[in-house]
Amino acid sequence: MQTLYNFATGPLLWASFAIFLAGSVWRIYSMIALARKKEMSVYAYMSWGFSFRSIFRWLTPFGTLGWKANPAMTVGTFAFHLCLLLLLLFAPGHAEMWDYNFGLAIWSLPEWLADTLTVVVIACCAFFAFRRLRVPAVRYVTTTHDWAVLLLVFLPFISAFLAKMQLGNTLFMTLLHVLSAEAVLIAIPFTRLSHAIFSPFTRAYMGSEFGGVRHCPDW
Amino acid sequence: MGIADRRIEDGNLMQAVAKLTPEKIKAAYELVTKGEAGARLSTYYQSCMRCGMCAQACHFSISHPDDPSYTPVGKMDQTMWKLIRQKGEVTPDEVYGMAQIAYTECNMCKRCVHYCPVGIDTGFITSLVRRFCYRLGVVPTYILDTAHSHSAVMNQMWVKQDEWIDSLIWQEDEARGEFPNLRVPLEKEGAEILYSVIAPEPKFRTQLIYQAAAIMHEAGLDWTMPALPGWDNSDMCMFVGDSEMMGRLKRCHYEMAQRLKVKRIVMGECGHAFRSVYDTGNRWLGFKDWPVPVVHSVEFFWELLTTGKIKIPKKFDKPVTIHDPCNITRGYGLMDKLREVVHMLCDKVVEMSPNREHTICCCAGGGIINCGPPFKSVRVAGNKAKADQLAATGVEYLVAPCHNCHGGLEDIIGHYKLGMHTKFLGDLIYQLMEKTRAE
Amino acid sequence: MKKRHLAGPFRAAALVAIAGLCLLMWLPAALSQEDIKELKPEALAPQTRPAAFFMHDAHNEKAGIDDCTACHHGKDKDGKMDPEDNSAGTACVDCHAVNARTGTPLKRAYHQQCISCHEQKNQGPTYCGGCHKG
Repeated sequence: MQTLYNFATGPLLWASFAIFLAGSVWRIYSMIALARKKEMSVYAYMSWGFSFRSIFRWLTPFGTLGWKANPAMTVGTFAFHLCLLLLLLFAPGHAEMWDYNFGLAIWSLPEWLADTLTVVVIACCAFFAFRRLRVPAVRYVTTTHDWAVLLLVFLPFISAFLAKMQLGNTLFMTLLHVLSAEAVLIAIPFTRLSHAIFSPFTRAYMGSEFGGVRHCPDW
Repeated sequence: MGIADRRIEDGNLMQAVAKLTPEKIKAAYELVTKGEAGARLSTYYQSCMRCGMCAQACHFSISHPDDPSYTPVGKMDQTMWKLIRQKGEVTPDEVYGMAQIAYTECNMCKRCVHYCPVGIDTGFITSLVRRFCYRLGVVPTYILDTAHSHSAVMNQMWVKQDEWIDSLIWQEDEARGEFPNLRVPLEKEGAEILYSVIAPEPKFRTQLIYQAAAIMHEAGLDWTMPALPGWDNSDMCMFVGDSEMMGRLKRCHYEMAQRLKVKRIVMGECGHAFRSVYDTGNRWLGFKDWPVPVVHSVEFFWELLTTGKIKIPKKFDKPVTIHDPCNITRGYGLMDKLREVVHMLCDKVVEMSPNREHTICCCAGGGIINCGPPFKSVRVAGNKAKADQLAATGVEYLVAPCHNCHGGLEDIIGHYKLGMHTKFLGDLIYQLMEKTRAE
Repeated sequence: MKKRHLAGPFRAAALVAIAGLCLLMWLPAALSQEDIKELKPEALAPQTRPAAFFMHDAHNEKAGIDDCTACHHGKDKDGKMDPEDNSAGTACVDCHAVNARTGTPLKRAYHQQCISCHEQKNQGPTYCGGCHKG
């Protein structure tokens, strides 16, 4: 297992970064090329001003009709994504990786805060799972794919938390953390998680079409 | 729960579905999703998180709170998402259900856009589902008939050439009883304004032409109406999914204005026709906006009232509420001008909530009312949301500057016994304006 | 942060106490060569993770290390790392200051010392909880 861990944090890590980056670039490039071939109107209507107006508006909690109408989901979505990004960049364990591998001493979250944020992400995953099971509108449209990506995103956090708390086999948990996080990276360009790379574009287009053609806000 | 449990019999849907084969279905699927649709459909499909936040957006799902198959994402899941998931391998029965959802349970009003964090355009996807159904001929009888009329005579209502001119002259004749010097100028080259209407106006709402002529006459405008095809600005082909015909209709409309060398087209109080000139038809023809400026009645009336060409000596004294038609508010941002016009005409305005660009749809637009009697109960039941909203205002008069909205709102007013009356802006202006040139 | 607000006399007393404690902790190591069980350099206090578990003698026996310089490297006259030079008996922190601007800071030095060797040999833990267990 230790050997597998060394492999997972070595060659496999670089491979997943490469697949994530190359995959994302390829996906975005092919979408841009497809839009150029089929939907020139997208290019005609795209506007920087309206794009960012829409993106910033939707990045504001409770700033849009949709966020206001779904308060629990708003709190859940913002907490989930914010904590996820903070932990990805500033988890103390990740900072140690930067320090050890590249000699970069970056700022990191205090341990207690990192632990709290991890629990928040886990709680958000539980909330999303609850909605998929119990909210009829969500349950009706939930597919295996949705469960798979939710599980995939949940794994790195629960394993990180258990490894940190040294509950269960720490090596197994750490290995699971690394492997599942790599799986998430690889999955981003090719699954529902691709909203991470596409939503800035879909949001920007909607903002542009509503701003430029419909003369009306899209929130 | 789902469309299979609420199938409604429709002559053409049944006939067309009977002729389907797996190969035909697959071919239409390939044509629409791979041949025509592009990056937008693909990214929307992949980044729709199935979060269900749009459930609260749609008047259908608000009106059916316990049935998730009416939510925007639920409707996507039963139509386009299912097609993509199964790579176009669906049964003729399933195509029937898809057509029923796309033509009769989504008005493409785009209210759900305000609820989707990812920015998914559900109305656009519905239009692709309709395109798929249209390619298979699976279109509800009544709306298909209007599209056929467009193809045959370039107007929606089988109005023949002589009938059109006759209707205009008839209205001119009628109006001259009130305004002795009034004319409905036909084919006047170089006029400032070309006035275009939808075919239901000459067919059964002829008084609207009378009123428009009276307003033009009172304001002393240099205007004209076309005698030749192109006079109908409506576009049911846009709604059935016949994009080719939609393009022909819009080209015909624009070219008519260019032939007459008018400065601009003024359009009657119609929502969908306006959508077809600034959003869909122009795109199909490759115009970013329009080759001839097109002005909606709301903007036009706003001009007449603010410049004093039309004077309102005494405002309407009963309280009114305003319905924002999706195509000109969420679609074109005319909510402020609409309010200004209504306030210039009426003493007391009671606003609905939500309103403006968040307006709840009339449930008639998007071609739904044009699907005819078999589906009337669907749109009436599907718009209890609007009925509740109307009832909450407690007023008797409702201003709605759109023909389809009128039809849909009158139906829910009747069904839910709201005892309200709908008004066009033209009705109010004609009724209230100072008639200096009348006898 | 509260410490900052302590009054002068208390602060002085606290400093003396801390210094005393430090001296006391040095004492056993200086007097007897007792076996090292964990790496818990005071310089890195307060520790945020459990101290690194490290049985000095057992580790070297298992890993077959006889040469002290395998870990206790020294430096040449330019201050560069010299793997030949034996630095046993010198505390790591004496060369690797915690916030070193030049050279390798203490924590990084520990991590590089242990993890890179474990990686190279493909023996011994390379994950956080493998050493930091408490």
